[in-house]
Amino acid sequence: MPGGDVTWQIALGGSGVGDFSELIPRVVEATVEIFTGMVMMEIEQDGEPFQELGTLENGITGMVGLAGTHKGMLAVHFPNELAMAITTSFLGMEVEGINEDVQDAVGEIANMLGGNVKTILTDRGYDIQLSLPSTISGEEYTFLPDNELDQVIIPFRAPSGTFFVELELEQ
Amino acid sequence: MAKNVLLVDDSSTMRKIVTRSLRQAGLDFGEIYEAGDGIEALEVLEKESIDIVLSDINMPNMNGIEFLREKSARDGIKDIPVFMISTETGDDIIGEAKSLGAVGALKKPFTPDKVSEVLGPLM
Repeated sequence: MPGGDVTWQIALGGSGVGDFSELIPRVVEATVEIFTGMVMMEIEQDGEPFQELGTLENGITGMVGLAGTHKGMLAVHFPNELAMAITTSFLGMEVEGINEDVQDAVGEIANMLGGNVKTILTDRGYDIQLSLPSTISGEEYTFLPDNELDQVIIPFRAPSGTFFVELELEQ
Repeated sequence: MAKNVLLVDDSSTMRKIVTRSLRQAGLDFGEIYEAGDGIEALEVLEKESIDIVLSDINMPNMNGIEFLREKSARDGIKDIPVFMISTETGDDIIGEAKSLGAVGALKKPFTPDKVSEVLGPLM
């Protein structure tokens, strides 16, 4: 259902984000830059990174896969209301519901952030290719991490809600 | 004289964003055409009067690199300047694009000021 209250059931993990400690500030910087420069929306990191997100409700996720010397995945999880606000900002017109425009906008944010992550990893000597972006949305869904990959989730606060950037990476 | 632009990107959202940035850049752009992949872009280039192309790299059906390669083989359109607009600006992919005729690159996200800086010399 569009709008309304969003319930995010989050299991807070520990602080063991391991080798991500150097990546996280750069991912935060890239996320802020994308929102400031393209979405025209002020955001900020909202708390410490953690490792388990739990079940997502009334939301939409954009993601890109990472392949090459290190495999992984970059995902951005939005509540519906925020995803629609982002799309409205992109398009300059109101959207009602999670339609193709919203899916495209969320996928494009994942695409841009994935590109930035790829640049960060390339600077580290990794050889990474990105998949085309894809999206998933629904009243209730769960993202199950790949047990062979390290994972970190970074929370952000936007005017219309909280969202999360999730990075899974083979270390 | 106003320059006609062709935007090539499989994301309709990104095409709208780029259109907005072009209009806000303060440069003399005329018609802004759109294509969803390299195949559509070649069709538009053969049919319309295009002065500048802005093309994404990662697209289905025909990606930006394949588009450059195909465009460079067509006498009527091979000299139209192409800028890559992409999340990826690594030396390898941009180097390959430039070896196929791309004249520059704009990294997403970008601002109207960046558009003006990169495309201004062509106007």
